[in-house]
Amino acid sequence: MPDSPKRRDFLGLTALWGVVIAMGTALAGVMRLPKPAVQPGPLRVFKLGDPAQFAVGSTTRVETGGFFLFREEQGFHAISSVCTHLGCVVAHNEGEGFACPCHGSRFSTDGSVVGGPAPAALPWLEIVLSPDGQLQVNAESAVPKGSRFKV
Amino acid sequence: MSGDPSRPFKWVTVICSVVTAGFLVAAAVRENVSADWRGHQAVFRGILLSKAKDDTARATARNLPIEIRQVVVPALHTVDRCVTCHLGIDDPRMTDVPNPHRVHPKKLLAIHRVEKFGCTVCHQGQGAALNFEEAKAEDYFWDYPLLPAKFTEATCASCHDPRALPKGSAEKLVLGMQLFEQKGCNGCHKLNGKGGQLGPALDNEGLKTKHQFVRANLKGSQTNWNWFAEHFRDPAGIVAGSLMPMPALSQPQVEALTVFMLSLRQRDLPAEYLAPDKIDEQYARLHPPAPDGAALYHRYCAACHDTGLHSRWDKKFARFVPGIRNAAFIRAEDDECLAENIREGRPGTRMPGWGPKAGGLSDAEVTALVAYLRTSAPAMVLPPAPPRGEATRGAALFAQECAGCHGMDGKGVIAPALANPVFQQAATDAFISQTIRAGRENTPMPAFGRAGVSESQIGDLLAYIRRWQPPTKQARSQRP
Amino acid sequence: MTPIQEFLENLKQTPRHIRESAMRNGKAPETDRERSQSTLHNLFLHMQSVRTDRRSLRFAYTFGLGLILTASFVVLTITGILLMVYYKPGVELAYNSVKDIHFVVPAGRFIRNIHRWSAHLMVLAVFLHMARVFYTGSYKRPREFNWLIGLALLVFTLGLSFTGYLLPWDQLAYWAVTIGANIASSPREVTDAIGITAWFDPGGFQKQLLLGANYVGQESLIRFYVLHVAVLPLLISAFMGLHFWRVRKDGGLSRDESKPAPPARIGDRDLEVFAPTKTYGLMAVVRGRTPVVGRSPEGSVSSWPNLMWAELAAFMFTIAVTLVLSYFFDAPLKEMANPAIPENPAKAPWYFLGLQELVSYSAFMGGVGIPSIVLIGLGLIPYLDRDPRGVGIWFGGPAGRRTFWQSLAYGLTSVIALLAVTVNFGWLRTWFPTIPQIAIIILNPATVIVAMFSAWSLWVLRRTGSIRMSAVALFTCFLAGFVVLTAMGSIFRGPNWHFYWWPSQWPTH
Repeated sequence: MPDSPKRRDFLGLTALWGVVIAMGTALAGVMRLPKPAVQPGPLRVFKLGDPAQFAVGSTTRVETGGFFLFREEQGFHAISSVCTHLGCVVAHNEGEGFACPCHGSRFSTDGSVVGGPAPAALPWLEIVLSPDGQLQVNAESAVPKGSRFKV
Repeated sequence: MSGDPSRPFKWVTVICSVVTAGFLVAAAVRENVSADWRGHQAVFRGILLSKAKDDTARATARNLPIEIRQVVVPALHTVDRCVTCHLGIDDPRMTDVPNPHRVHPKKLLAIHRVEKFGCTVCHQGQGAALNFEEAKAEDYFWDYPLLPAKFTEATCASCHDPRALPKGSAEKLVLGMQLFEQKGCNGCHKLNGKGGQLGPALDNEGLKTKHQFVRANLKGSQTNWNWFAEHFRDPAGIVAGSLMPMPALSQPQVEALTVFMLSLRQRDLPAEYLAPDKIDEQYARLHPPAPDGAALYHRYCAACHDTGLHSRWDKKFARFVPGIRNAAFIRAEDDECLAENIREGRPGTRMPGWGPKAGGLSDAEVTALVAYLRTSAPAMVLPPAPPRGEATRGAALFAQECAGCHGMDGKGVIAPALANPVFQQAATDAFISQTIRAGRENTPMPAFGRAGVSESQIGDLLAYIRRWQPPTKQARSQRP
Repeated sequence: MTPIQEFLENLKQTPRHIRESAMRNGKAPETDRERSQSTLHNLFLHMQSVRTDRRSLRFAYTFGLGLILTASFVVLTITGILLMVYYKPGVELAYNSVKDIHFVVPAGRFIRNIHRWSAHLMVLAVFLHMARVFYTGSYKRPREFNWLIGLALLVFTLGLSFTGYLLPWDQLAYWAVTIGANIASSPREVTDAIGITAWFDPGGFQKQLLLGANYVGQESLIRFYVLHVAVLPLLISAFMGLHFWRVRKDGGLSRDESKPAPPARIGDRDLEVFAPTKTYGLMAVVRGRTPVVGRSPEGSVSSWPNLMWAELAAFMFTIAVTLVLSYFFDAPLKEMANPAIPENPAKAPWYFLGLQELVSYSAFMGGVGIPSIVLIGLGLIPYLDRDPRGVGIWFGGPAGRRTFWQSLAYGLTSVIALLAVTVNFGWLRTWFPTIPQIAIIILNPATVIVAMFSAWSLWVLRRTGSIRMSAVALFTCFLAGFVVLTAMGSIFRGPNWHFYWWPSQWPTH
């Protein structure tokens, strides 16, 4: 039997496309599931107590928050201790800056990269005074390098 | 190409099957027959049998099941399998048998039942293990290896106030606590919120893992107690660049302090595990009795200031340390001045603030310290300060007479730092001029008044010295 | 016979009838013909062709690597399911459940070891199998698509190994995954360098998807668990089925068609099925794409029992090796995961150490750029080398063998030389501390290696005029580079990723 000329099957075409669109919508909805709508874990905002307990010229490592708190004459600043290369915890050397043990990234005292594979400087974190008078560092919010918080 | 083409494969299969079966059997034997703990249990069975007094006891002994035993204590989040080998640990009859069958020494399990405590809460170690090597977990990937027997009393402090324990229970620990206070360790190290800030706070020292210590120079077993012992013997040898003075301790003292360090744990034990004396201890911390100035001095000040009667040069600080109990000094200062000095410290130097927000001393404690310092000499009424003169003339005089010790910048490495903001705030003009005039006995500060410096010159010096006064707070000197 | 008698007679005959109903022939096959029928009609056995070419059974041709892979996968699935009975995927419970498996679960220590060593064996075998298929030209028509399926299987195998790595929740696991997740977010390096991260952040997206959070925690553990026990095993099983199906439809394992076929084994005699002098007439020509099934039965033997013996041998060999390793060596387990104390050095599993070495120069290039280039390059091989000659011959002949050795030498020396430079002199940022990151992304040891290898490969192409030779050159260079970089990462890198000649020289922290 020779092939008969194709006749448009409108119903058939609509049906197939209907399936494709329906399944596509389902897929799109399903694909949304793995991306979290809310971040688990507590907000990374850390209250550190009375600002007066930090002596001028002191460096405090806040392990739970993943940052270092510095107080100088010009005021407070906090620098993240999470290496920008692959997330290891950097060590702080007084006067020299920061060094990451994992691949040898080195940062100067203000967080800029001076060596190693780190692609970006260590972020400076936002500091505010909480309503109850405590020093509060927001580890999720970065501020420009060099900003100090004066009490 | 005749013959069986599969022959080589059949050979490989046979050999590998034999190897497989062999190793399966070997693994089964290793686990079910030759495991250490099974041997121990078999021996214990024999011991029970030999100690059996009647037929029922003999039958029980013979039927003792050879199985893994464990103590599960949900409140402490532990599962301890030590009793798999230590079957006789709470059996009072097991006094004359070799370990691991011997009963626990000092009859401790009579008051610390195994079912309630487990073992690792006091002894540390890897409770889940079924052989001694892995239970001890030293030089192993485990954070808390088994505490050596001589240090085990460190954990008593988690539930008890060691000083309230019967004599002989925790001698080393009590000695360690006393040494800590006597040697003035709090001068640099905070504990329970009180102390200096030159060294790290010690509140959780006992729970630090070996990875949290600098072990580059540590010889011997890589454990925290070995670190403590070596650190007490030679701090700078273990931590390069350490400012900690070598305390000159005997071996028993080193061990006592090591036990004390191991006992410092911020543990979250359920309330029913805390002994009443521990709760008393915690209460006493919140409601401290009347502070003893002399004891406070020893605890917090003596490490740097020694007796306080003389100033001294500290090699490690590369700085002079003032004699704060010097009679001439105390005579010239009033109580409020002294209190402010103690509270605020000397920022920029090794003297930290000791007030409630900094070093953690309460106002009552500061007052007690001041009272103790006051015993050196009663406060005198200071002659009034001359009016402030000309700073330029003062500068010239200062350069000539004062800068040699106090430094032209007032930073004073071998003499007090006159430019220090707390000094400027606490000291009155009268105090400064009196010190220049009359000097300070028993220190290198001469009496310039007797050396010919006139009152107006003192006024000039005053004007120069006050240039370093911070502009913010109202200077006390300007109050009447 | 009364109905009751009939009933009782049926009951008595039931065992025999069950047996006969289960087997289509009613009994175990005895003749070659019966064996052929059983192979064809059995659900599991019909995955094999009824007859197998003798050359496919030669050990020195394939080294049984595909079978080793399959055997490893079976062992992993079985031991994996057994481990699932005791393993608990919660951050508070996981570590202790693995410790319990090691100490008290009956046969737990042994089974866990088997699972771990089998996994390593599978990853090793997958690389060797890929090399074997490549070097024997077994990716050429009509097997190109199977090569692509094989690449997918490679990715799934590595994925399974990596997701399994996190599950013990120890220091090794935690930090390896922290690094892995940060590698996944390394596209940020590029988007940051060109300043578009605020609008287009695939790096951050990938990291969120993998970890379910900004840090490695409970969400990550459960995601990795789901991937490891459900998603990836299903995918790999499906693709394995497809892979075997394609092997069948592509005519079985590749062989050298240019040479005359060895005689067929029929019954217990070797027979020349198609007489070498006879010609055969063409019966019909039909249009369509039919599966190629080769000139069987020429050169073939009966699959049952010959292929089955080969498979059994490979299976038992894999199991024996795994058991011996598992008896003597415990699977590693370090202290419980502690976010405050990074491992130093924190190392990925061995098959990723080469990448980690590259990542230590540039996170994006080493973690995303190079793997993508390599995967795409591998995928293109069958479509770039369309010359149908040389299938079934290792290296395609003596010329290929020469190219192989030369490329091996070139690959080894060039990578070792480059590493010597970086270890002794550093790289761009050591000499120019303020250089912009984009310069480092473009010019770093990883890209230099790719450039050096490509140059060599192009030179071989011009010299030999053969795409296959240049492919052999490039593949061999990358193989050499992989070996050197893996060795570098595992042996010569110590704390702070500094170079040490031997682990005994590592300083204590």
